[in-house]
Parts: sequence; C-alpha cells; structure tokens
Amino acid sequence: MANKFLSDLLRQKQMDSPKEILSEVGDFISEYSSHLMGCGVHTSRVIRNAKRIGNSFGYAVTLSVFQKNIILTVADLEKHEHYNKVIDIPELPISFEHNSELSTLSWETYDRHLSLSALRRKYLRILRRPAIHPFFVLIMTGLANASFCRLFGGDWLSMGIVLTSTITGMFLKQQMSKEGINPYLVFIVSAFVASLCSSSSLIFDTTSEIALATSVLYLVPGVPLINGVIDIVEGYILTGCARLIHALLLILCIATGLSFTLLLVKDNLL
Amino acid sequence: MEIFWKTIGLYNSSTWVYQIFIIIAGILSTIFLIKKNGRRSAIAMKLFLIVLYLWISVVYFYIYCEERNYNELMSLFWGVLAATWICDLIIGYTTFERSSSHSKLAYLLLIMPFLYPVTSLLQGKSFPEITSPVMPCSAVVFTLGILQLFSKKINLFLILLLCHWSLIGLSKTYFFNIPEDFLMAGTTIPAIYLFFKQYFLSNPLTVTKPQIKYMDWMLIGICTAVGAILIAALIITLSQS
Repeated sequence: MANKFLSDLLRQKQMDSPKEILSEVGDFISEYSSHLMGCGVHTSRVIRNAKRIGNSFGYAVTLSVFQKNIILTVADLEKHEHYNKVIDIPELPISFEHNSELSTLSWETYDRHLSLSALRRKYLRILRRPAIHPFFVLIMTGLANASFCRLFGGDWLSMGIVLTSTITGMFLKQQMSKEGINPYLVFIVSAFVASLCSSSSLIFDTTSEIALATSVLYLVPGVPLINGVIDIVEGYILTGCARLIHALLLILCIATGLSFTLLLVKDNLL
Repeated sequence: MEIFWKTIGLYNSSTWVYQIFIIIAGILSTIFLIKKNGRRSAIAMKLFLIVLYLWISVVYFYIYCEERNYNELMSLFWGVLAATWICDLIIGYTTFERSSSHSKLAYLLLIMPFLYPVTSLLQGKSFPEITSPVMPCSAVVFTLGILQLFSKKINLFLILLLCHWSLIGLSKTYFFNIPEDFLMAGTTIPAIYLFFKQYFLSNPLTVTKPQIKYMDWMLIGICTAVGAILIAALIITLSQS
C-alpha cells in the first residue's frame, strides 16, 4: 500500500515536471497547428495562433511550415528546455468553422489562462461537433452553381441543367475522394461528367455556352488560391507558391475534363 | 420537331423486330430477378441493361438520330451510362436485393414503357412515328422501376444521371411538344425522392448538420418545386395544343 502511494506520488511528480509539461504543450500545439493547416487556414494565422497558445503557457513557439509537414520548436526560455517535433499535415476537408472556432480557442487560452486539460477538452469538443451532411453539401453546391449560371446570364432551363449536372459531378467527386483516388484524377473525371451532363443543353434553344462554362465552377479551388496569395503577401513564399501550384494543377485538371467534352461535341466547340 | 418524329419513325420501321427481342429479354430478366432473386439473376439483369443502354447509345442515337443536332453527344451520354453499368457489373456494387417498401410505385414504373406507345396512339399518331418501349425515356423509367423494387443497395451515381435525363425529358415536353415525356417526369419525381431519402438515411453519421428531419423537408421542398414546374409545363403544353 505504502509502495503504491509512493509510486503514484513519484509518477505525479514526473508528470508535473517542467519537461513533461513542455512536451505535453508541444504535443498539443503540434496537433492543433497541423489540424489548422489541414483544414485550409493560411500560414500566418496558424503560426500566430500556435504562438499565442505557447505564450499563455510561458513558452516561445517557432514553426517552419511546409506543404506537407510542420517543424515545431517549443522553448522554455527560463529553464533552457526545448521540445522539437516534425508533424505531417493531414488532408482534411476545408472547414471555415474549425478555422474560426480554433482561432477563438487560442484567444480564450491566452485571455483566461486555460489549463492544458481544459484546452484539450475544448479542442476535442470543437472537433467532435456534428459534420455537415454530404447530401446537404451536394444540394447546396448544385444551387450555388445554378446561381452562378444565372449571374452569368443563363436562363431558367440552363440553371436547371447546371443544377443536376453539378449534383452529378459533385456526387462523383465525393465518392471518388472517399475511395482515396488521386485528387487530380478526381477533378478531371468530375469536370468531364459535369460538363458532359450540361452539354445536353445544346439540344435546346437556350444559353448552352453559359451552362457548359458554369457547370464546372464548383471545382474551382478557391481556398488554396486565396491562401496562396495571402501567404505570399505575408512573406510565406514557400507555402504560398506550393499552394498556388497545387491550385493551378487543379485548374488544369478542370480544363482537361472540360476540354474532353468540348472536343467530343459536334462541330468542335474548342 | 419534324426531324424528331422522322428519326423515330425511321428507327421504329427499321428495328421493330430487334425491339421485340429486346422487350422479351427485358421481360424475362425482370421475371427471373423477381422469382429467383440472387447473384445470377442480378448479373443477367445488369447484362440486359448494358445491352439496352448500348443499343440506345449506338443504334438509336448514333445511327438513326444522325439527322438531329448533337446526336453524338446523346450517344456519348448513354455510352457513359452503359459504362457505369459495366463498372457496376465488375465491382458488384448494385446487389438487386429485394426491398419490400414502395413496390406499388416500382411496378407502376415497370409497366410505364408500355404506356408510351399507348399515349402516342391516343394522341392520334400512328406506327412507325410513335414512342416505343425501347427508347431512352422508356429505358429510364424501366431502370428506375427495377432499382426501386430492388433498392437495398443502389448506385446513386446512375440514379443522378437518370435524374438528369428526366430533367431533359421535362424540358422536351415544353420545347418539342412531346407530352409522352410527362409520364417519365411525373413518375420519376417520387422515385427520386425515395432514392435520395434512402441515401441520406443510410449515412453512418447519426448526428449531422442539419438534422435528418430538416434534410427530409428540404428534399420534399425540392421535389414539390419540380412537380410544380412539371404541372406548369403540362398546362402550357395543353393550352398550346
């Protein structure tokens, strides 16, 4: 009994040792920052948030962010202790909700001096919130693309055709992504199917060119493009260029898929 | 409009013997699937659907609809549908397992291809310039009927492509004055509602945003809107004729 008490006490003391706390905070920051990068947050915000959380625990945080990895150093400047880690950035769906909520969490940690356990609890609560249903995403994407068609001057029939074409293409994209198929291939096939479906508008007296052009707009990688520009403007040239190149390749894939349809159409629309 | 019925006339007069064979094959595959539901009957039905879709793609659209604009495009669309069935046959995704719910609607959809020529005849048209059971829209309602009857595990991508074709059919009723396509558009709306409902109910996530009941309401709203458009198109077409 006495031995157990002593061993528990020793373990508790080890847990509370500065090095242990430093490593736990480092682990949390590495998980937090890689999640933020994965869900489409621009680099400077990730670094600011990570530094803010580190500061609230009295540590200095330094991050080197790359396209696929993050190199993290958390330093206890008073005790001259360092914690280093290289983390893989996971491929997550774009989430503005996580972006906003996790940034707010970093401020809350800083302002209220949350303990690490409270911080981790709140972090997990944000991550475990119900996901948006893929069917809802499907319908909303279809409606958004149909609205784009209207904005570009398309009539009601073109809007209807763009709606169903987008839903079909988007569904294929969701399923292929779920199967872990190469994203470039996913974009080519999705663009081809969506544009092929919308090319059925050619048989009617309608704004078929607008329907064809707008049917692939749901694939445009807006977030990587914006993040790439923000990163470059804020001095993170490496990640900015990587993001822009990735977005450019995706745009090329959309163009390839659309070109297949246009080449197949009679009288060669290209 | 004239070219449309002319191509149909040419197709029917040249292929009516083959069409009878296809209809018999379809009836036999359906009976085999209903009576002896299993792997073999599922493969037989998939093979029949591949042949049917390829027939529509090559014989109907590519050969006999050559006079129509963009017939290659329609041929390609049906080629994609046939390719989807070929993939399904290889992967074995659609199991054609019997589901007890909504079988009345399924049987209605299954007999719908035979109502197409009847509707044409009732309009005063005569053979060969009438719609037949081996045509794109008849194939769509037949496929939806089969999938509705055996809806335990269905290929939703295929349903979406067929749904897209139904929308084209709905537009054709208005633009080309083909009231026969009201049959397809009218019956596919409830079928599509049921397919999609089953899809989002089968999602493994129990708690989602928005909740399932709101998703159901949204789907009902969309189907009601499409139904309202269909009725409006029907009224306009009838008033024109």
